[in-house]
Amino acid sequence: MALTDEAQSIRTEEMILNVGPQHPSTHGVFRLVVKISGETIIEAEPVIGYLHRGTEKLAEDLQYTQIIPYTDRLDYVSAMINNYALCHTVERALDLEIPERAEYLRIITMELQRVASHLLAVGSYLLDLGAMSPFLYVFQERERIVQMFNELCGARLTYNYMRVGGVKWDAPPGWIDQVRDFIPFMRKKLKMYDDLITGNEIFLSRVRGIGVFNTETALAYGLSGINLRSTGFDWDLRKKKPYSIYNRFDFEVPLGKNGDCFDRYILHMQEMEQSLRIVEQAVEQFPSSGPVLGKVPKMVRVPAGEYYSGIEGTRGELGFYIVSEGKDKPYRMKIRKPSFVNLQLLPELLKGQSMANLIAILGAVDIVLGEVDA
Amino acid sequence: MSDVEDSNQKTPEENEGAEQPSKPSDSTAPAGEKVAKASEGEKPKTADPAATNSSDPTDGAKPPEAADAVAPSKPASAAKPAAAAKPAAGAKAAAAGAERPARAAKAAAPPDPRIEAAKETAEKVKATLVAELGETAVEETGAAHLNPMVRIKRDFWPQAVELLKNHADWQLNYIECMAGTDYPEYIEVVIYIQSTNLGHFICLKTRTPRDRAQIPSIVSIHPGVNWEEREIYDLLGVHFTNHPDLRRIMMWEGFKGHPLRKDYSEWDGGEENGAH
Repeated sequence: MALTDEAQSIRTEEMILNVGPQHPSTHGVFRLVVKISGETIIEAEPVIGYLHRGTEKLAEDLQYTQIIPYTDRLDYVSAMINNYALCHTVERALDLEIPERAEYLRIITMELQRVASHLLAVGSYLLDLGAMSPFLYVFQERERIVQMFNELCGARLTYNYMRVGGVKWDAPPGWIDQVRDFIPFMRKKLKMYDDLITGNEIFLSRVRGIGVFNTETALAYGLSGINLRSTGFDWDLRKKKPYSIYNRFDFEVPLGKNGDCFDRYILHMQEMEQSLRIVEQAVEQFPSSGPVLGKVPKMVRVPAGEYYSGIEGTRGELGFYIVSEGKDKPYRMKIRKPSFVNLQLLPELLKGQSMANLIAILGAVDIVLGEVDA
Repeated sequence: MSDVEDSNQKTPEENEGAEQPSKPSDSTAPAGEKVAKASEGEKPKTADPAATNSSDPTDGAKPPEAADAVAPSKPASAAKPAAAAKPAAGAKAAAAGAERPARAAKAAAPPDPRIEAAKETAEKVKATLVAELGETAVEETGAAHLNPMVRIKRDFWPQAVELLKNHADWQLNYIECMAGTDYPEYIEVVIYIQSTNLGHFICLKTRTPRDRAQIPSIVSIHPGVNWEEREIYDLLGVHFTNHPDLRRIMMWEGFKGHPLRKDYSEWDGGEENGAH
């Protein structure tokens, strides 16, 4: 029990409080059973599974191309990256060569998706902390990205865009120009958000020095993505295990210093800038013509064996583990879900904190329940 | 949905997808074209700096072959999309045909150096483990695709994982993925583990019989697998001994059965099973 002297002098009673499953700050259907004494959290126990759809089991009865739309529904705010993670694992297993134009379309869509997802993460985090307007503002910028994706593949949220060996649709005329125009626009907006939020005294007092953990803890708990990098540990799979054509682009991996909620917020902002840098370079190098789908057999059959590969998703390492018997369907497919793994540290972070900090800490871990529950 | 129906739905679509790219697209302005060309010249396929796994020069022969074999099926399915069953069957046969020669070519070709290197590393891991834990600790070594794979005897599982975490030569400290798979005779649990200092990336496995499946937990060594082990317990029914909090995590309390087992029947038992 971590109670201050003052708190101990007042008689309190332990109480069990249910946060969620239907609570706006849980970002979905997530339940947290907290044992509190006064305002202090003694113990917190996450309860998940409300959105469990058994994706892994369903995948065993589906052909590889048919699994792609299911991946859209994992982390539903970064569907493009989920699509890619599956295709990438299958492509590695088949040793496929991907057409240049498809690679560039993938990079552009994935990095735009990262921007859209991070925008939402920042917006909803601010909303959790009581700032209403950023949440409404970010939807304007996100809308432009979503509209571009809509033009590209006819969907706003669940794109089903990537295919094993390339992408489904080529960019319509003028699409690349739209992306090119978007970059300076977004940079300006990022500057605006930075001015509005980063220096805000109220915001800073809510997030500085809250929810701190160090690199050792992060590694032991298998954290990845921003949660790991906020501790100052340089671990970005786009650099560490380069996939696709990321080695052609010049970008940096922003790192935190203190491993607190503020670092996790600021990394979201900095990563958006880096993503825009990648998109900018990709647009410049974009091949003027060429196929967008490689020579792939109609029925994708993965050679017998087991395969794992992870990519840098928006929330951490997103990986697919596939056991194949050489058939057109996986024998077993396991998804390495970054949100699921990252969430494990939450009870440790919450111990001894006040109830008000609960929301700040949970929001900074940045989970999407579609992915946690799969 | 049956296989055949599904592949038929896909066929015309996929054809479009495959044929579309042959038309040059006008999406970029002339200026953009120039830039793109210039950059193409600058970048002479920097495809693979050793560490990456995307494209492999040794396999250059495969894609053209596959393309040849698939090509005949294309006009057929495009010509008569109404007669759905036939083209699909054709495509299936073609795909199978495409694979066979490719495989034969692979077998004839010299072994992939990346796989050989992985096997070698696996042997080294084995040597480390055997030196400390005895000859019986390691059951098998090899390669899981391009990664070194070491299968450890169930009884030595936590000791081996701990040893490799603390051993100066390996320092495997970061579990990237943990998964369980139900095979006909056994259940296999696998972890893909990384050394963030030394860069090793190794696949460690262990097996348990399907009846009374039981594996010692490694949560005390890597707290990050707590929920992963709970998930494997929930969905595959493997008891992790010494786990601090072994409960179901995805399914509700009172649920019977383990859905990811291959013999799981899809009927959930209705109210008997506590479903609402």
